[in-house]
Amino acid sequence: MTEPASLRSRQPRFRGLEAGHRACQGCGEALAARLVTESAGPDVILTNATGCLEVFTTPWPQSAWRVPWLHSLFENSAAIASGVEAALKAQGRRTKVIAMGGDGGTFDIGFQALSGMLERMHNVLYVCYDNEAYMNTGIQRSSSTPHAAMTTTSPPGKNRMGKRHMKKDLLSIIAAHHVPYAASASVAYPQDLRRKVRRAMEIEGPTFLLVHSPCPLGWGHDGTLSIEIARLGVQTGLFPLIELERGEVASVMPIRNPVPVVEYLKRQGRFRHLFSDGDHRAREEREHLQALADYNIERYGLKGDGDDPLDTDGADTVRRGGPART
Amino acid sequence: MPVTMTRGAFALPGTSLAFKTGTWRNTRPIHTHAAAPCHGACPAGEDQQEWLARLQEGRPREAWEALVAMNPMPAVTGRVCPHPCESACNRGQYDSPIAIHGIERWLGDEAIRHNWAYPLLDVPVRSQRVAVVGAGPAGLSAAYHLLRRRYNVVLFDAMPEAGGLLRSAIPPTRLPRDVVDKELGRILALGIEFRPRTALGRDVSLDQLRSEFDAVFLGVGAGKSRHWDVDGAVPADLHEGLGMLKEWLVVGALPTPNAVVIHGGGNTAVDLARVMRRAGVKDVHVVTASGLPGPDTEPDDVLNVVPRELEQAVEEGVVFHPHRTINRLIMRGSKVVGVEMVRLKKLPDGRGRKSRVSFEGTETVLHVDMVVPAIGEVVDPTGMESVLHGKDYIKTDRFGRIDGQAGLFAGGDARDWLKGLTGGTVSAAIGDGRRAAEAIDALLSGREAVEPVRPPIRYDRLNLAYYENRPRIPLPTLELEKRNDTDEIEGGPSGAQALAEANRCFSCGNCLACDNCWTLCPDNAVVKTTELASDGSHYVFDYDYCKGCGLCAKECPCGYIDMVPDE
Ligand SMILES: Cc1cc2nc3c(=O)[nH]c(=O)nc-3n(C[C@H](O)[C@H](O)[C@H](O)COP(=O)(O)OP(=O)(O)OC[C@H]3O[C@@H](n4cnc5c(N)ncnc54)[C@H](O)[C@@H]3O)c2cc1C
Ligand SMILES: Cc1ncc(C[n+]2csc(CCOP(=O)(O)OP(=O)(O)O)c2C)c(N)n1
Ligand code: SF4
Ligand code: SF4
Ligand code: SF4
Ligand SMILES: [Mg+2]
Repeated sequence: MTEPASLRSRQPRFRGLEAGHRACQGCGEALAARLVTESAGPDVILTNATGCLEVFTTPWPQSAWRVPWLHSLFENSAAIASGVEAALKAQGRRTKVIAMGGDGGTFDIGFQALSGMLERMHNVLYVCYDNEAYMNTGIQRSSSTPHAAMTTTSPPGKNRMGKRHMKKDLLSIIAAHHVPYAASASVAYPQDLRRKVRRAMEIEGPTFLLVHSPCPLGWGHDGTLSIEIARLGVQTGLFPLIELERGEVASVMPIRNPVPVVEYLKRQGRFRHLFSDGDHRAREEREHLQALADYNIERYGLKGDGDDPLDTDGADTVRRGGPART
Repeated sequence: MPVTMTRGAFALPGTSLAFKTGTWRNTRPIHTHAAAPCHGACPAGEDQQEWLARLQEGRPREAWEALVAMNPMPAVTGRVCPHPCESACNRGQYDSPIAIHGIERWLGDEAIRHNWAYPLLDVPVRSQRVAVVGAGPAGLSAAYHLLRRRYNVVLFDAMPEAGGLLRSAIPPTRLPRDVVDKELGRILALGIEFRPRTALGRDVSLDQLRSEFDAVFLGVGAGKSRHWDVDGAVPADLHEGLGMLKEWLVVGALPTPNAVVIHGGGNTAVDLARVMRRAGVKDVHVVTASGLPGPDTEPDDVLNVVPRELEQAVEEGVVFHPHRTINRLIMRGSKVVGVEMVRLKKLPDGRGRKSRVSFEGTETVLHVDMVVPAIGEVVDPTGMESVLHGKDYIKTDRFGRIDGQAGLFAGGDARDWLKGLTGGTVSAAIGDGRRAAEAIDALLSGREAVEPVRPPIRYDRLNLAYYENRPRIPLPTLELEKRNDTDEIEGGPSGAQALAEANRCFSCGNCLACDNCWTLCPDNAVVKTTELASDGSHYVFDYDYCKGCGLCAKECPCGYIDMVPDE
C-alpha cells in the first residue's frame, strides 16, 4: 500500500512537526523545527516564543505539533521553559524541555530571560531559529540582521546601505555563561544539525543551538533556493558552524573551498542594492561583507587543510540508501 | 481528519493535517526516470546507471544480471569496446568519467568465475524456430535474446568455432582467447543449437532457411576486403591488412619488411601495425585520412579505434600520419620502394556535405618496402545476392528489418550503417542483435516492436553540491618491455576497486534513495516507503500537503524530480 495517507503513520522517523502548517513555500524555519523535533524524539515539552513558528504551527483550533507545546509571550520562552523544567524536576521526571524562539525573540526581546535560564543552569535546550529579522510582523531588523541587509526598518537609501550595524555575536555572549554546550547549525547540513541536537539532548544542563534558517519572503528569494542559500552562507564563512564547550571552541566545520560572498548575496533580494551600478558604496559594502567572512574564517580557523569527510563538501555527500546512521 | 474541540479548548496534536496546504500549489514535483548519458551513448543499449546502482548496494550478481539483460558478453566488451559511454559520462565534466569498461569487464569475469546462470525471461516456451546466420557478436546477441525469450534458435557459422572477428581478428593481447571461449561457451550452452562449418550460399541457401524457419537473422559480418589501388597501380605481392592479421592469428607468422606503410584508420590498421612492430619491423607507418583525437579534429573525423589502443600503439613506436592519404606508389618494377603522401581534410562542400579535399603542394615521400591496405570490408555477396541488390551492405531499419522481406532480418557489420563513431563495433553488433530479437518476437507474436526511450538528463540538472571529487581508479597496463604476442596488455580492476569506482557514479536521472527530498521537505510532504513505490523509488509525494516549493527538486542530487504545472 503506497497511499501517502497510510504511509504517513508508518514513517521510519519520529514526526514532531506534522504537515498542514501554514509556513510559506520553502520555509527554512519550518524545516529547521521539523529536523530539531525529529532528532529530539517524543519525550520532550516545547515552549515557543511568539513569531512565525508559533503562528504558522498553531492556528486555533489546530496544532501541527505532535508533542506537548506551550506558548505564552514573545519575550519569555526561556522563562517558561525554566519553570516547566523546575516543575518536572520536582516531579522527578526526566522529560527534556526545549525552548524555541526566533532571532527577535532570542537576540533581542527574550535575551534577559535566556541569560537567566543559562545562568541558573536549567536543564533546557534552547533553539533559536535565526532568519535574521522579525519576519512575522513584516521583516523588521533585529540585532541578528546582517550588516547591509535591507529590511523594512533598515531600508537602503541616501544615508544607509541597508542595516548600519553588525550582526550581534550571540554565541560569544552565550559562551560567556560557561554553559556545557552551545553550537551553530544550518538547515543545509541536516546530518550535522541532527548530531548537534542529539548531543545537546544528552547533556544535563543548559545548552544552546543557533540554526541558520533562510526566509524566502524576508530574504527575497524563491523558496526553491532555501537550502542552496543556507549552504552558501556556510561555505562563504558568513555563518560559521561551530561548537562551544564551556565557552571554548571545541570544533568547527571546516570550509573545503571558500566561496566568495557575492555568490551568497546576489541570490537574495535583501542585498539587491549591493549590486546597483554606479553606486560606489555597493562595492564597498560587498567588500565589507567579504572582509567579515574572511574575519570569521580566520577567527575560527575555518579553512581546513585537505579534504575532510566532515567539511563543507564532505558533510553533505550523498550515498545510496541515505546517510549512514551516526 | 475532523477537527475536534477539546474540553479545555486546546489544539490536539497533529490536527493541522485537516488543513490541506496542497491547495496552495501551482507546480508539483514528479519523479522522472531520465536516461543517463552513459545509457544514451551505449550502442549495446546497457543501462549502466542501473547496474552500477546494484554494485553500490554490494550486489555484484544482480549488477551482472541487469547488465546481461542487454549485453550477454561483458567480459568481451569490457575489454574491446571503445566505450562511448565514458566519453558521454556526466562525471567527465566534474572530474573524470566512471571507468565503466573496467567495471563491466570485472562483472563479466566474475560471472565466468562463479558460473552465474544467465537469467531467462519467465515467459511460456515458444514453438517457433529462428535461424541465425553468423556466430559473431551480432548473431550471438540475436540468438541469446531470442533464447531468453524462449524461442528455438539454430545458429549457423561457416567457421568451426563461434566468435566471428572476436576470434579471427582481434589480437589476444587485447582479448584473450580463453575469455572468448568461456563467455561465448556459456552463451551457447544456454540451449542454442550451434551448427558450425555450415556456410550460407555453400551448404545451405537463404530460401531453404526461410522455408524451414519462422524467421532468419543475418549476422554475417563484412568479410570481403574492399578493392584498393592507387591510380590503378597495385603492387604485385599485395597483402591486404585483415587477411594478414587473420593469417597471423592462425599460423603465428607474417611478412617482416624493413619498413611498412599501412593505409587505413581503423582497428585493423592499428592492430596490424602493433603486431608488425612486435614481429620486428623497424618502421611501421599508418597513413590515415582521419585525424588523431585533439582540438583540430572534429568528433566525426577521429580515428575509429579505442583511444587507449592508439596511445599504446604510439608508445610501441608506431608512427601515425593523420589527415593524409597515399597519392602515388613509387615502384621499382613491380615492387614498392616508397609512397607519396598528401595532406587532406574532411570539409563541407557547397551543399554542406562533407568530403575529403587534398591539398596540392603538401606531398611528402616515405621510403618503405611494403604497402598494406586496411581500408575496410564489405559483405561477401555469396548466397546473399537477394538481400544486397548489388550494394556493399544490407539495408535495414533500426530493428534490422529488411524492406519487402518479411521474416528476414540483419545486423552488425553486415548492415548498412549510418557511419558514425559507434558503427562497426562489437557493442553495436550486440545492440543490433537485441533489437532484431525484439522485432522477431514482435513479428511472431503479432505485436509492434518497441525500444523504450526515456528523456535524456543533462549535466546541469544534477546538484553537484552532494558529490565530492574522487579520483578514477587506475587500471594496470603491462609495461612496454613486457608486452608480447599473447599476454593481455590492459588489466582489470580488483573487486574492491570495481566497487569503489561504482560508488563514484552520480546515478544520473534515477533515484539513489539518498533521502534528501524526504529530509528537506519543510512540509513533511515527501513520505518514504520501505517497499518500492510504483515509480521505482522509495518515496511518494503527498499532494495533499505539498505546497510546490520545489526544494526537493532543487536538492535532488541526480535530477530525478521535475516540477511540472499542477493540473
Ligand atoms: C582487427 C579488428 C579489430 C577490431 N577491434 C575492435 C575493437 O577493439 N572494438 C570493437 O568494438 N570492435 C572491433 N572490431 C570490429 C568488430 O570486431 C566488429 O564490428 C564485430 O565483430 C562485428 O560483429 P558481426 O557479428 O556483425 O560480424 P563478425 O564478427 O564478422 O561475425 C560474422 C560471422 O559470420 C560468419 N559468416 C560470414 N559469412 C557467412 C556465411 N555465408 N555463412 C555462415 N557464416 C558466415 C563468419 O564466419 C563470422 O563468424 C575490430 C575489427 C577488426 C577487423
Ligand atoms: C512584547 C511584544 N512585542 C512585539 C510583539 C509583536 N511581534 C510578534 S512576533 C514578532 C517578531 C518575531 O520575530 P522573530 O522572533 O525573529 O521570529 P520570526 O517571526 O522571524 O520567526 C513581533 C515583533 C509581541 N508579540 N510582543
Ligand atoms: S555518472 Fe553514472 S549515471 Fe551518470 S553518466 Fe556517468 S556512469 Fe552514467
Ligand atoms: S519540498 Fe515538499 S513542499 Fe516543497 S515541492 Fe517538494 S514536496 Fe512540495
Ligand atoms: S532527493 Fe534523493 S531520495 Fe529524493 S528523489 Fe532525489 S535521489 Fe531520490
Ligand atoms: Mg526572525
